[in-house]
Amino acid sequence: MLNNLVLENFDQSFLKSPSLIDERKKAFSNLKKIGMPNKKVENWKYTDLDNLTKSIEFKPGIINLELSNQESKGINVREFDYFIKNKAQYLNPIKILENEGVVYLNISYSNEAKVIEIKEIQSQPLIINIISEGPGFSLPRLKIDVFPEIEAEIHLIYLGGEGFINQLTEVNLQKNSKIKLFRVNKSSAVHSETFLTYLDSNTNISLVNLSMPENNSRFQVYNSFQGRNSFSNFKSVSIPKDNCHDDFLVHNLHKSSNCESNVGIRSILNKGAVCSFQALVDVELNTSSSKAEQDCKAILLHENATMNAKPEMKIFNDDVVCKHGTTIGTLDKEQIFYLQSRGLDKISAEKILLQGIIKNYISDESPLNSFLPKVYQ
Amino acid sequence: MNNFLKIQNLSVKVENKKIINDLNLDIKKGEVHAIMGPNGSGKSTLSNVLAGKSGYTIIEGSVDFCGEDLISLEPNERANKGIFLAFQYPVEIPGVTNINFIKTALDSNRKFRGLDPIKPGDFLKLVKEKSEILGIPEDRLKRQLNVGFSGGEKKRNEALQLMVLNPLLAILDETDSGLDVDAFKIVADTINSTRSNDNSLLVITHYQRLLERIKPDIVHIFIDGSIVESGGPELAAEIENNGFERFANA
Repeated sequence: MLNNLVLENFDQSFLKSPSLIDERKKAFSNLKKIGMPNKKVENWKYTDLDNLTKSIEFKPGIINLELSNQESKGINVREFDYFIKNKAQYLNPIKILENEGVVYLNISYSNEAKVIEIKEIQSQPLIINIISEGPGFSLPRLKIDVFPEIEAEIHLIYLGGEGFINQLTEVNLQKNSKIKLFRVNKSSAVHSETFLTYLDSNTNISLVNLSMPENNSRFQVYNSFQGRNSFSNFKSVSIPKDNCHDDFLVHNLHKSSNCESNVGIRSILNKGAVCSFQALVDVELNTSSSKAEQDCKAILLHENATMNAKPEMKIFNDDVVCKHGTTIGTLDKEQIFYLQSRGLDKISAEKILLQGIIKNYISDESPLNSFLPKVYQ
Repeated sequence: MNNFLKIQNLSVKVENKKIINDLNLDIKKGEVHAIMGPNGSGKSTLSNVLAGKSGYTIIEGSVDFCGEDLISLEPNERANKGIFLAFQYPVEIPGVTNINFIKTALDSNRKFRGLDPIKPGDFLKLVKEKSEILGIPEDRLKRQLNVGFSGGEKKRNEALQLMVLNPLLAILDETDSGLDVDAFKIVADTINSTRSNDNSLLVITHYQRLLERIKPDIVHIFIDGSIVESGGPELAAEIENNGFERFANA
């Protein structure tokens, strides 16, 4: 694909931000060297993004980042010009991921951004709708900065779209802050999101992700524990459309002591659907009292459904409690029989079991519940 | 005709192994039958076959319930016609709330009988009443079905479902196992209180102690998939004293 990339096709981006042209050119040069992700790259072993995007015309797509209540007290929202004035911030993701093609692609051509600073505790959730219209490449950039002692809730909603969306999201949690994130992915575009979090001391981040892509999707998360006593909890429910691939990668990088990371996925896969789950816990040498858990459960409802699970742990010291578990299979016949023996027909029994798998992550009270298909609510 | 359950010349195999062997059993309305037998004699297979679990092949014979062929029915149809199996090892169902499940089960039964779903207020009153009898705390009703329950808690929960669903024929598959002394008395006495002239019990157990609280009309000794002897409660006492050796060697 890269041979077809012509900078002039994206002139619009450069015209909007001429002061970043050197940074963009450098990022593009690195992108050319590294290439678009494909299955030869270990972290992308289940998704050939290079191939998936080949047929999509390399021209700017239209993307909107709509915010529900950006006028609320204590919230500052900036546009792309924030990065023109803060070049170091613009290039920051490269420090975390220096060999990641999708990051260089975003930095080369990003043309739509929201930088959200949350300075006061919010009583209402902030809702962000990410809407792509028309074909081409859409390269949105989102940065959420939660100030010290602040608690907030944000809903990220991706619906519809076409072409290719390659989003770069950063969440910066300053000391003693807390954020609850709810994410819905029902994108019909080829979708890639790189999600970077920076956790200062005594911070807490939870993300519940409902992923029902109607095309091929990649969601890669890098949680960087930079301060002590921090906690992250990432849960995903994956129900890709038939013949679609939902690819997750979650890296929890324990760089400080007394931090805890939990990551889990529940996947329900039908005809031709594929879910991939790569989870890495990386505990550095000079840390202590780290805790980590990885948990994967997938139900295959069709003989042509596939689940790939690749849990990994890199532990460089002894003061660690880590565990992981993976279960992949069909619905449990003993459970079905138990429910039937109480009078439920087989279809109702199966439905209840599937609901049960989802309800562990998305309760009736969750804001994600209304996005679930009726059969699972 | 007050035959509830009539098993005639029933033989069952699992894979290629015959487990039930030419079994005959009549249970009439209002009767309590007990089946006692050593491990591996086929007692749980019999309860699973009656409840309709898959994986068993009926080689020959018939099972009628209230005059209707039971074998041709799905497990849920059997349940809705009034058969209840209290499981030896109730399975855990994550993500499904205990109380919601019991209501769903009761409404399925009611729907089968042409009734509307029970009103939430009436249901809560019913469940609360039965739970109190069984000593089940309210918070356990809100927990996920059997998830993290102790063996005794699971058995109490089975007894609760039995009381709420009020079946015509309850099959108790080693309901006494896993219960401590106090829980055993509560569960046994509660089940005993459900006895009436309109329902029947089939009690599968190893021990006489359950049969001292749920007094059977007939005790059957079950060896190698067949009933080798039937008699009154004194038969259970003999087993308690002498074991199954006499019957196994017969």
